Amino acid sequence: MKKQWLKYLDRQAPRYTSYPSALRFDGSVDAALYSEKLRAVDLYEPLSIYVHIPFCRQLCWYCGCNMRVENNYDRVRAYVDALLDEICIVGGVVGGKGRIANVHFGGGTPNILVADDLACILDAIERELGLTDDARLAIELDPRLMRKGDARMLAELGFDRMSLGVQDFDIGVQWAINRMQRFEMVAECVSDMREAGVDDISFDLLYGLPKQTPQSFSDAIDKAISLAPDRFAVFGYAHLPRMIPRQRMICDDELPGVEMRAELAALADERLAAAGYLQIGFDHYARPGNALAAAMGEGRLHRNFQGFTDDVAETTIGFGASAISFVHGVYAQNDKDIGDYQRKIAARTLPVARGIMRTARDERCAAAITRLLCDFETDLGAMFELTPEAEQRRIDQALAALERDDVIRRRGAVLRINDGARSLCRVVAASIDPWAHTAQKATRETAKAV
Amino acid sequence: MAAIVETDQLSSRTGGARVGLCDICDIRGVSICQEFGPREMAQAESTMARRAVARKHAIMSEGEPNDSLFVVVDGSFLLSKYLEDGRRQVTGFIFKGDLMGVRPTDKSAYTAEALEDSLVCTFSHHYLNEVATSAPGVKDRLIARGQTEYHRAQDHIVLLGKKTADERVRSFFMLLAKSVGTDPGDGRIEAPLSMSRQDIADYLGLRLETLSRALATLKKIGFIEAISRNHVVMNI
Repeated sequence: MKKQWLKYLDRQAPRYTSYPSALRFDGSVDAALYSEKLRAVDLYEPLSIYVHIPFCRQLCWYCGCNMRVENNYDRVRAYVDALLDEICIVGGVVGGKGRIANVHFGGGTPNILVADDLACILDAIERELGLTDDARLAIELDPRLMRKGDARMLAELGFDRMSLGVQDFDIGVQWAINRMQRFEMVAECVSDMREAGVDDISFDLLYGLPKQTPQSFSDAIDKAISLAPDRFAVFGYAHLPRMIPRQRMICDDELPGVEMRAELAALADERLAAAGYLQIGFDHYARPGNALAAAMGEGRLHRNFQGFTDDVAETTIGFGASAISFVHGVYAQNDKDIGDYQRKIAARTLPVARGIMRTARDERCAAAITRLLCDFETDLGAMFELTPEAEQRRIDQALAALERDDVIRRRGAVLRINDGARSLCRVVAASIDPWAHTAQKATRETAKAV
Repeated sequence: MAAIVETDQLSSRTGGARVGLCDICDIRGVSICQEFGPREMAQAESTMARRAVARKHAIMSEGEPNDSLFVVVDGSFLLSKYLEDGRRQVTGFIFKGDLMGVRPTDKSAYTAEALEDSLVCTFSHHYLNEVATSAPGVKDRLIARGQTEYHRAQDHIVLLGKKTADERVRSFFMLLAKSVGTDPGDGRIEAPLSMSRQDIADYLGLRLETLSRALATLKKIGFIEAISRNHVVMNI
């Protein structure tokens, strides 16, 4: 990493899993507007489905997700009932239109659900929205809850993409984040999945965790590689104890500093590249034969709430507390509070709490930023057509500074991130995002860019 | 790609005799030609072509131009289109007596592929427009007579709106009975099944396993009496 880049490491930048970012969501989107958009879904429009399961057995102290520890399955079951009702309400509005391309179960911990409940949810989706065998079914899994036979059960339900929350294999780090999982357990889990015929296994790793050192993380990466998953997602831990109370369990002085964070990220890049994985976007890696790698090769990589994806369906319907939908230019987020969510469902209303409607200008910013993050190159021409001059000047200045520092090259409206500087691409994205500063001032919710 | 066999090769179907093809057409009563008077009928016979389309071959292809109106004299077709994500969507089935290509187009919105060896009559829209100048409204009347791809698209919207898998599957078989069912005289309806289970599942927005379960249920309640790979007997 070049010396002049160090100053960017501490910059805050949105994760850009949506544009505009969820920070800009407000009360302007309500159930009425969302249903109007749902009604306009085309007969054969590709749809992506997201199902949020906000429960875990145990608290991991780093987690920033909307989840709650739940050990009473009756309460989980009540939530599943609400989910089934929500799918039914949405199905009534959509009226059989659309064609599902992908279903993603995220959390929390989706495998806290028993097989019958997962099957019920899939049946409801099939009944209300249609589900055919060519749809891809993905699920996030906590390896600590995987019992013998679970992988086979999930594969029989149709799940063909499984991602495991690995985070780190170092015992000291695991202790510091309250997530103890032995390497042998993860290894067994992977072997069960392979035996069940799953050919798309993904590991999540986290850098920037307490007690992590280049040596410990390097060992963890090597152990992970030895299990030969098909892809990796390597995220930077976002330490925001003021926003997320559970993160106060993590001692600030055990966290690696910004420079070490950059070193850890670079280490992952290096190790995974050496093991034959291709870098996808700035935080995903895939084996050359994997669908994600193919999408990147063909220039069809996209970004959605799950990160980088080969899913081409622009329209996403989210179910569950805090789930975000995106339908025809409108983002709609459900109530985050599980109780509020269940009460609205009980009243047979769509549980939309907030959201935002994209403007024409937002559309163009979104396209420019998506291409930048997916391809490391973007054309600002279309975006500038709708950008006021004063704003353009500010963007030009910011980009000139990045160019002086060798982060980007610019030719007219086209800018490209220099090879070594890919890890700074969210900083570059924020510099062309007219809303990034206001968002940063308004809140501390954005994460460190590296 | 259309595999088109010229009419001459069909002589085996007509017993080798040079009878007018239209004289022996068994869908004439329900088809387009009902709208023609004797003079137009003679003209029609001289300007239309009868084509055999081999199984799995397309007579219209998505994105390609089409200037012909097709009347299915025998056999059946699967209508499909490719979605943005590269998957194929089955949008409908076209049966004996149905019409396809009712509007000329530079870019067909779908592909029509023969599910079995089929036979179609082909009229050029150019010729039909000429007929329409001497007999105003004839084209509209004849299109209004048959089930067209537009009717089949409507069928699909209705089917996909049904709220249980059993209902969707039952509605599909009712549609099949109405389109190609025959009553052997004992109140039961028999129909050929030219499409695969996978085609039916895709069409109904169901997983194959769900279709199988629904078929089992419909058998249990007696709606379906017997079903094989290519034939079904129903009690409706």
